[in-house]
Amino acid sequence: MQWQFSNDAPIYTQLIQQVKVGIVTGAFPPGERLPSVRDMATEAGVNPNTMQRALAELERDGLVYSLRTAGRFVTEDNTMINAAKRSLAQRHVKTFLEAMLGLGFQKEEIISLITQEFGEEDGDHASA
Amino acid sequence: MLRKLLKHEFRATGRIMLPIYLILLVTAVGSNLAGRGMMDGRSEALNILGVLIIMAFGFAICGALLMAFVLMIQRFYKNLLQDEGYLMFTLPVSVHQHIWSKLIVSAVWFIATVLAIIAASLVVAYQGGFLRELLDLLRYFLEGLQKLKISEAFNGTIYLVEFAILMFLSLVAFSLQFYAALAAGHSQANHKMLWSVAWFFGMQFVLQFGGSLLMVGLNKLDLYDRLFSHWDPTPAVAIHVGLLMAIGFLILYSAIFYAITTFFLKKHLNLE
Amino acid sequence: MPVLECKGLTKRFGRATALEDVSLTIEPGRIVGLLGPNGSGKTTLIKLANGLLTPEGGYIAVCGAAPGRESHGQVSYLPERTAIPTWMTARQLLDFYGDFYQDFRREAAEEMLDHLGILPQQTIKQMSKGTREKVQLVMVMSRAAKLYLLDEPIGGVDPATRDYILSTIIGNYNPEAAVVISTHLIADVEKVLDEVIFINQGHVVLQSTVDDIREEKGMSVDELFREVFKC
Repeated sequence: MQWQFSNDAPIYTQLIQQVKVGIVTGAFPPGERLPSVRDMATEAGVNPNTMQRALAELERDGLVYSLRTAGRFVTEDNTMINAAKRSLAQRHVKTFLEAMLGLGFQKEEIISLITQEFGEEDGDHASA
Repeated sequence: MLRKLLKHEFRATGRIMLPIYLILLVTAVGSNLAGRGMMDGRSEALNILGVLIIMAFGFAICGALLMAFVLMIQRFYKNLLQDEGYLMFTLPVSVHQHIWSKLIVSAVWFIATVLAIIAASLVVAYQGGFLRELLDLLRYFLEGLQKLKISEAFNGTIYLVEFAILMFLSLVAFSLQFYAALAAGHSQANHKMLWSVAWFFGMQFVLQFGGSLLMVGLNKLDLYDRLFSHWDPTPAVAIHVGLLMAIGFLILYSAIFYAITTFFLKKHLNLE
Repeated sequence: MPVLECKGLTKRFGRATALEDVSLTIEPGRIVGLLGPNGSGKTTLIKLANGLLTPEGGYIAVCGAAPGRESHGQVSYLPERTAIPTWMTARQLLDFYGDFYQDFRREAAEEMLDHLGILPQQTIKQMSKGTREKVQLVMVMSRAAKLYLLDEPIGGVDPATRDYILSTIIGNYNPEAAVVISTHLIADVEKVLDEVIFINQGHVVLQSTVDDIREEKGMSVDELFREVFKC
């Protein structure tokens, strides 16, 4: 897992996002046990209390659950993981759209730009 | 905790003093052999070598005494008042324990050095039959002791004890004067060493001046006359009185230096 | 009970005032950054908490008691300079810490030294400056203390060593203890801190949690620091 942090948001919210990404991409597979808070904090280079807070939040959302003695596990519920994936995607789309609208693009222009981008990629594949 | 401080203090100093004692022993054995060789007087080159070895023995004696002195100062200065002070003064031990550990260890090394020099000198003097002569000497001495009157033997033993205490206290007072000067000087923000030297001579001056005033004062009171008009001690007792007074003075000096040292280390520690 | 508490703490050196009327509280279980420019009074505060200096006014308590022999047994202190005797070997240093500190975890220290590739018979003198600092930190973090006072642990070290030091701190501190890290390199430590205390010219100017600052001001502690201490 790559941990990266920006300067403008609280660290625990960024940790929540990144653990979510880890779960969605399979870095933390469904049903698997998560490393200990201290190990995860050491790996991410963050304060263990902050990591604890982020994981508690994820637990409240249901993406992870804890068994009293065995530790914390990633949920096995795929609908929940897919929902998280979708909400992450929506976030990206939202930021993207905000930037594009900020640049003065209209809805149709944006869609055509995207299709064009995908078309070129397909074209590259075809010629290769 | 004092025991642990002593253990590590001996570790720190032993690595320097023990090799010096070894050099002392080696040069002593060398000098002994050189002495025999030179008496044979067969070879010029061997003679020169012999002189060099005996000179080395002389240097080793001076070096051992000097090193015991340097270590006394250096351990206090470097271990407590330089960078290592950050470690030492944050140990769960008291300032008193720090001072005592330094004091005891340096006194032990002074005494050990004197004993080592005596032992090395015996090694130099050793020749065939030397041991028997030494034992004979000891026997004469013991026979002499047996002829003493009980009072003489008693007084003699007490003199020895008093003298030993006097020697030990001199060492303690001597070391503590350096400690006090260093501790006081290093409480300053700048020119710590200069201040330490100033404190050393300042204390020396004040104590000598105070001592002289005390003497003059005692003279004024005609204490001697008053005392000795009623009391006519035998010479033996007079010596006791003299020794005990010297011991008393040394205890007073040591107490003053000790108080100064603890005051500055406790209240005005100012590590760089 | 707070592990470190100051009220109206004042320290002067001659006519110069190093700390004036400093009041703060540090609770157990937190990693606190003591942040300020050079000469702001960070080191003075840490030395006062260690009893290496005596205050002119106010009051300072470590685990409820004035700094002294008892508090030294509960505080693990990393000075801003190399204070371990350089003639000692790594093994003698382990003996030293083990003899004086009941909370010293010798096995943990041995493991970390081994990980650094340091041999027990190696003397401190033979080590590079960076290695000495690592060894000193290993000793300090191998204690199960109530309060860790780390004065400039990452000053003047390369980025790899800095990462090593920070992960050693996170990986070894006891969750019931508090860690105080003094530094002026904020961007490097920001992520490991719960709380920050800004100190300037002997005064505490701010005490807050890192995430509160980010949430309320929308900027990192580093950015806020640059704003507060703009020249």
